[in-house]
Amino acid sequence: ASSQVAQSRNAILVSHRQKGNPLLKHIRNVRWTFADIVCDYLLGQSSCALYLSLRYHLLHPDYLYYRIRELQKNFKLRVVLCHVDVEDVKKPLLEVTKTALLHDCTLLCGWSLEECGRYLETIKVYENKPADIIQGQMDTDYLSRLTHALTTVRHVNKTDVVTLGTTFGSLSHIMGASMEDLARCPGIGERKVKRLFDTFHEPFKRLE
Amino acid sequence: MVQFHEHIITELLEDCNGGLVVLSSGLSLSKLVSSLLLLHTHSEGTLLILSPSSATLRSRIILNLKTLNPQFTQIPSEITADLPAHHRHSLYSSGNVFFITPRILIVDLLTNKIPTSMISGIIILNAHSLTETSTEAFIVRIYRSLNRAGYVRAFSDKPHAMVSGFAKAERTMKFLHVRRLHLWPRFQVYVSQELERDPPEVVDIRVPMTRYMVGIQKAIVEVMDACLKEMRKTNKVDVEDLTVENGLFKSFDEIVRRQLDPIWHTLGLKTKQLVSDLKTLRKLLDYLVRYDAVTYLKYLDTLRVSESFRSVWLFAEASYKIFDYAKKRVYHLVRSDGTKVREVSKSAKNKKRKVKGDNKDSEEADDGTPSSSNAGLVLEEVLEEAPKWKVLREILEEIEEERQKQGGLTEELLAEGKDTDNGIVLLACKDERSCLQIEECIFKSPKQVMSEEWKKYLLSKVQLRDIVHKKKKKPKDPKGFGILDGVTPIAPAQNAETSSISKQEHDALLAAASGLRDLPENHDFEDPPHPDFGGRGRGKGKRKAGNKKGPIVNGVSEVHSGSREASTSYKAETSVDSMVLVKHKNPDTATANAKPLPPVHFYALESDQPILDILKPSIVIVYHPDVAFVREIEVYKAENPSKKLKVYFLFYEDSTEVQKFEASIRRENGAFESLIRQKSMMMIPVDQSGHCLGMDSTFESDLSTSQNSMTRKAGGRKEVDKEMQVIVDMREFMSSLPNVLHQKGMRIIPVTLEVGDYILSPLICVERKSIQDLFMSFTSGRLYHQVETMVRYYRIPVLLIEFSQDKSFSFQSASDIGDDVTPNSIISKLSLLALHFPRLRIIWSRSLHATAEIFAALKANQDEPDETKAMRVGVPSEEGIVEDDVRAENYNTSAVEFLRRLPGVTDSNYRTIMDGCKSLAELALLPLEKLAELMGGHKAARTLREFLDAKYPTLL
Repeated sequence: ASSQVAQSRNAILVSHRQKGNPLLKHIRNVRWTFADIVCDYLLGQSSCALYLSLRYHLLHPDYLYYRIRELQKNFKLRVVLCHVDVEDVKKPLLEVTKTALLHDCTLLCGWSLEECGRYLETIKVYENKPADIIQGQMDTDYLSRLTHALTTVRHVNKTDVVTLGTTFGSLSHIMGASMEDLARCPGIGERKVKRLFDTFHEPFKRLE
Repeated sequence: MVQFHEHIITELLEDCNGGLVVLSSGLSLSKLVSSLLLLHTHSEGTLLILSPSSATLRSRIILNLKTLNPQFTQIPSEITADLPAHHRHSLYSSGNVFFITPRILIVDLLTNKIPTSMISGIIILNAHSLTETSTEAFIVRIYRSLNRAGYVRAFSDKPHAMVSGFAKAERTMKFLHVRRLHLWPRFQVYVSQELERDPPEVVDIRVPMTRYMVGIQKAIVEVMDACLKEMRKTNKVDVEDLTVENGLFKSFDEIVRRQLDPIWHTLGLKTKQLVSDLKTLRKLLDYLVRYDAVTYLKYLDTLRVSESFRSVWLFAEASYKIFDYAKKRVYHLVRSDGTKVREVSKSAKNKKRKVKGDNKDSEEADDGTPSSSNAGLVLEEVLEEAPKWKVLREILEEIEEERQKQGGLTEELLAEGKDTDNGIVLLACKDERSCLQIEECIFKSPKQVMSEEWKKYLLSKVQLRDIVHKKKKKPKDPKGFGILDGVTPIAPAQNAETSSISKQEHDALLAAASGLRDLPENHDFEDPPHPDFGGRGRGKGKRKAGNKKGPIVNGVSEVHSGSREASTSYKAETSVDSMVLVKHKNPDTATANAKPLPPVHFYALESDQPILDILKPSIVIVYHPDVAFVREIEVYKAENPSKKLKVYFLFYEDSTEVQKFEASIRRENGAFESLIRQKSMMMIPVDQSGHCLGMDSTFESDLSTSQNSMTRKAGGRKEVDKEMQVIVDMREFMSSLPNVLHQKGMRIIPVTLEVGDYILSPLICVERKSIQDLFMSFTSGRLYHQVETMVRYYRIPVLLIEFSQDKSFSFQSASDIGDDVTPNSIISKLSLLALHFPRLRIIWSRSLHATAEIFAALKANQDEPDETKAMRVGVPSEEGIVEDDVRAENYNTSAVEFLRRLPGVTDSNYRTIMDGCKSLAELALLPLEKLAELMGGHKAARTLREFLDAKYPTLL
């Protein structure tokens, strides 16, 4: 019995209401089981999701509101997973957005059942994951970092980074290059030269 | 002043409401505008010119004003956010002419800081780049609603851009509220009469390209064709537009993007890559006629390193030839016993065929066996010079001869004080780079220039060896064979094939390079290995192998040089004379036997200076033909009818250069024909008072109430009872959303926000992200921190994800989602964001207009936001209350962003770095100790210092 509990903790619990939803076919990276729950999908200790197809919303505009009200205050993260399955989204999406926003729900949109399924999987898998992948950490090798920095300058592309690197040898030399030297690099035109030069030589603060 | 400018101005002044003028490029928009400004008087009120994005246009206007009328005191200055508000106010009421950035103008209009009745009119110089939602349209709408008597005069000298999209000219006129469209093509009768009355003497020289250049050009066109065929197969693009001819235009990108953008998410990686490949290929065609052989080869090498595994074109059959020919223009391989390795090129050619999808190793082994039994290969330099160089020298010699003959005569004329023929020779090239190089060619000798380029090239190879040995990586095969890498992406490292030709070639390159390194500077030039046309002679031997198919390419048309069209230039701010004019004295010291040459002034077309008016040349050599510059020459001649003017055009025969030139004229004419048609069918509604109705009148009354806080409550509104207010961050005025919100009837309050972009109510704070921004700020971590602060200060923090109306409404197609949960997917990032900030609300908006509706819906039951409170949110208390300034304009934003991306720089230390060091260039020079002081620690400082000084790993 205890192993069953442990299993269900690692699985997404799916409300019986969702029986027959083709979305379930697309939950493959995480196990799921049916259970008696008030939300559609229970994704963690305090995370839940309601599934809504926009087409269904057009037929039953009040459905979402009643479902949200049922949830009461039992969850920290309340996701409204909206399947965008109509062409003209403007009006229905506006209504869903408003309802979700004013009733403390996070709206996530998917354009296919695969995408919707992936959101559910991801939220489950990432339940305890730290935020470092969205905090700006990235590849730490020299070339990626250099590219990352130099491409802040508009229109400078990867090829230009290679050109600059091979021409000047190091970042500090690139930063100290004269306009003329920059202009001599193949592929780096007038505009890029000006942008690069200004980025390096204009003061950080324009006003004293 | 040319007469047709007078005609234009007379026509324009007929309608006191303003008008839209479209004229051919090169017909001197700056002079036209300057003449118009001269007519401005104080009593009319203040005239505002929206600052053009090109600083050169502005400086040209100022310069023209000064030359046209030295007494004219109203040289327009620029109103920027740097000026304090009260100072701006006094300028607005001064009756003078000013340039002003659209962003500060719209902010001042919205905050009622402008006495609009004092503004006599607005001049817009880039009519072609406006849309209904752009800030300029916003400005005009508010201005018109507050001052019905004012005029709006809009100009464009980019006719082809005025016809992109449906009825663009008509729509532009509607949102600018002007009724008259003035079209002034080059073929307009006044214009052509005037310019052709006394045209300059023209010498059109067609220079044949070398065999290899022809071969490369042909190969590139073949590859382009192959890419286009691939694209056609996708069935995603209108087949009619997919011709090589079109593919050579820059506008082709737009055609393709416009068709593909709405379905971009459904496209496979391959199609996307094809689009970018076509761009690369177009660049290659352009550089072929602009770069010398060595630089071209170097660029190809660079491309291969940076694009290798992704590009489709690199693996097309013909691209082999591009690399091969490019190499042959620079060097050949010879056995050390002196026999040429003819098999190399032959077998290479065969190989190209076989290797496609075949096993590379065995192929190379075949080649390798015979040669490895022999002694190693050595390089023989070819260093093909650009054919135009020689022709240019001949022209210059001829010019000098003329001058000598007329020498006495000229002096007499000069003595009489006439400047009819000052003998100044102007050489116009596309870019600064070409100018420098051609100057060196004349000053030194072409041979020497090529040797120097070659030396630099070889030295970069030496660096490679050092790196490669350290990294224990298989080196990219340096030359032609390298393109095959992709076929068997991971070639087994060092194996039997080390003795293959490519390896030997590599060694030979390195050997040559090391040899060079030991040579004293001047040696290489005294004993040039080949006479002038060595390249050609040698080429003959190879022809059978390389050019079986017959040399000339037909039906190749234009290359449009990627970014080169833009007119911004780094010369803009500096004084024209000192920067543009690279002058030198007689170069006869360089080549003892050469005939004397006249002094030559060099000019880069890209720098877009009024060079003709400054220099008043008698002879212009157009080294890289450009339609706009040709027109400028015509205008210059028309303005100086008494002056003798001779113009030389240098075209590569049968090149895409010629076709590009001709096609750009065709394209412009086509654009004007279409505009003329549109004009004849235009319906511009006009109300009784003669005003153009760009919007319905009820809306206009809404506008005036919303701008006037005194009558705010007066009503006149039908749908909304109370007026809605939105507080908008100053930086957001770069985007179109404030304009659209205003169109919806909301009052826009611009302030500087530390947290969020839009404040809808005391509770709701919105951070807006376009799709591109969203991806970028996830990667940089910016979004995470922005959300973090929003969550800290607001009850309902909102992330607005705004899609673009003309692009697809989704992130990706179902097939792109993949089988596993991966950290790089946008789904993962959004999920993680939601998990970490469960209070964050997300708005998914289809378009700008949808956003405006959502905002209105959300505000319906909320209180209005308080601007003073909003401004204070998130501002560190020691800084006190933020002044009424525009922060973004006070920072060099790209430098700050750059700084923040450097290793060791963190959120907590970047401000102190900026306090202690002025610019990035200065930062690059700071010693470790000083860095440690600024960055608050030695570890971070060392990280940064090491990154700055790290040797770039050369892969070539």
